[in-house]
Amino acid sequence: MLRNLTAALLVFAALVIQAGFVNRLSPRIAPDLVLLVVLSLAALRGPLPGAVIGFCGGLAYDLLPPADHPLGQYALVMCALGWLAGRLGDQLPLLAVMSCAVVAPGLAAGLGALLGDPGVSWAVLRAAWPPIALCNLLAAPVVLWAVSAPHRRRRPGETESMRGWRRGMA
Amino acid sequence: MRDTRRTRLTLGILIGTALILITVDHRAAHGSLLAPVRDVASTVFGKFEGATSAVTAPIAGFFKTLHDAPGAERVITDLRKENASLKTQLSAQRLDKARVAKLDRMLGLAGLGRYRVVPAQVVARRATPGFEDAVEIDAGTNDGVRTDMTVLSGEGLIGRVVYAGPSTSTVVLLTDPALSAGARLEGGNELGVVSGLGEAGGSDNLIKFRLLDDAVPVAVGRRIVSFGSQRNTPYVAGVPIGVIERVEHTPGELTRIAYARPFADFSSIDVVGVVTQAPKRDPRDSVLPPVPQPAKPPAPRPAKPSTEVWPPVEARPLDPGRGPGRELGRETGRGATDRERERARHEPGPEASPAVARTAPPANPQRHAREHPTVAAREHPLADARQPNASPDARKNARDNPRPNAAANARRNAAADVRKNALANARDDTADGKHRRQDRRA
Repeated sequence: MLRNLTAALLVFAALVIQAGFVNRLSPRIAPDLVLLVVLSLAALRGPLPGAVIGFCGGLAYDLLPPADHPLGQYALVMCALGWLAGRLGDQLPLLAVMSCAVVAPGLAAGLGALLGDPGVSWAVLRAAWPPIALCNLLAAPVVLWAVSAPHRRRRPGETESMRGWRRGMA
Repeated sequence: MRDTRRTRLTLGILIGTALILITVDHRAAHGSLLAPVRDVASTVFGKFEGATSAVTAPIAGFFKTLHDAPGAERVITDLRKENASLKTQLSAQRLDKARVAKLDRMLGLAGLGRYRVVPAQVVARRATPGFEDAVEIDAGTNDGVRTDMTVLSGEGLIGRVVYAGPSTSTVVLLTDPALSAGARLEGGNELGVVSGLGEAGGSDNLIKFRLLDDAVPVAVGRRIVSFGSQRNTPYVAGVPIGVIERVEHTPGELTRIAYARPFADFSSIDVVGVVTQAPKRDPRDSVLPPVPQPAKPPAPRPAKPSTEVWPPVEARPLDPGRGPGRELGRETGRGATDRERERARHEPGPEASPAVARTAPPANPQRHAREHPTVAAREHPLADARQPNASPDARKNARDNPRPNAAANARRNAAADVRKNALANARDDTADGKHRRQDRRA
């Protein structure tokens, strides 16, 4: 319960900071904090919690005020990516987060294109994807470290097998 | 696959929900169905976003400064350059605007009096204190300027052309002591001569106005227009000259001297107009600027009331209970009433106080004397034998009417004669001034 509450708080903080600070700092190219937080949480906790957290976080991201895309677009993308990160994060959480963070912008854009978003085209995607992916890659270790910090502190003596068991429980 | 059945089910439900949400939102044309959800979300997130922005604004500003730093120097240089060029443009525009306003005023004045003018600009000025005061304008014979043409500005008379070159002309200013021009008090026929005072005019560039009839009351604040010369050379009629500022009491003299402040600002002449063609009709007072509405309190006047009310004897015949006869008294009274009306018409404003109006002498004594010979004679019994210039007529009048009032009448007639002569002189006066000028130049 406490874990879920912490996760919700983390996602909420990420949302607010993303919209109120990061995007204002550099509106065009910035790391996607919400995505990274969701992926980190998913990688630490497994596929099912990852999918749920991804869905909720994505839905909240869709609802975040300056939004002009169909509701559910990010929910779908993050739900799928959260499940994937949970699957891959078993052995190497950082690698899982990084690969998903690279894939995410393309996936979101592809879904937008499928839904008829006029802003998405190959030229835009080619120009925008690499810098965003790079930003996400750079920010991923930091976010993962920050998200996993409470887990480590609270359970210093916890073994890997126990964590694996807990992850399965969700 | 380590995925349990539950995980798969949950994942499927979630993705299905997302797809349904997308479909609903997409089909509902900007979320009429999901609008309440969005509203709640925007309220909640909006508050937190606002707080975050407020807290992190300094940090954001710092990063923005860092981000902009490389281009900032260039931007500042560019802005400085732009600022300088804009400032130059602005000052040039301000100058242009002032000049346009002056030209506009001048043309307005010219249009008011139906003068045909050639606009010109002052390009040089020579002012030898007490000796000459002349400017050079950038219009000459090529523009139709000839010698002895009137020059005016938006405010009033400036002077006249003494020499017209091909492309420039020399204009002697009204403040030049050698210049004199026939002038007329506003609203009446009282004539006089204005002449410059040079250095004696002080910083206000006062000019001297010699009134040819010493019996006419000259009040401070009355205005002077040009009288016009013969065939409009060198002065056209009706150009505003100035407003009387100070009246000098000159007992025993035939002319009265007043000092007037010119309408035109002689310390900063810029755009002027040369009158190349006078109006067909004398514009009289129509060119004068409107009387300033908040009437000034009467300026300090000479202590003697005689400056305003001259001669005080004039009041007596108006007293119906006194005088040579009621018949005559009434007649005089009617005459006086007419005059009063005339005066009231000409002298609106606070200066025409009832007392002054009641006791004021006729506006045109000569005409008055002509129209009411006997009355006028009886009004003024004592012949003024001391008056050296009194005409024989006047003396005869005085002899024929040995009443006490006759003296004043004689004096009046004499003054009228002198005035007639002086007027004739005044017309030549300007020409005289010109000759003097030419002599001097030679």
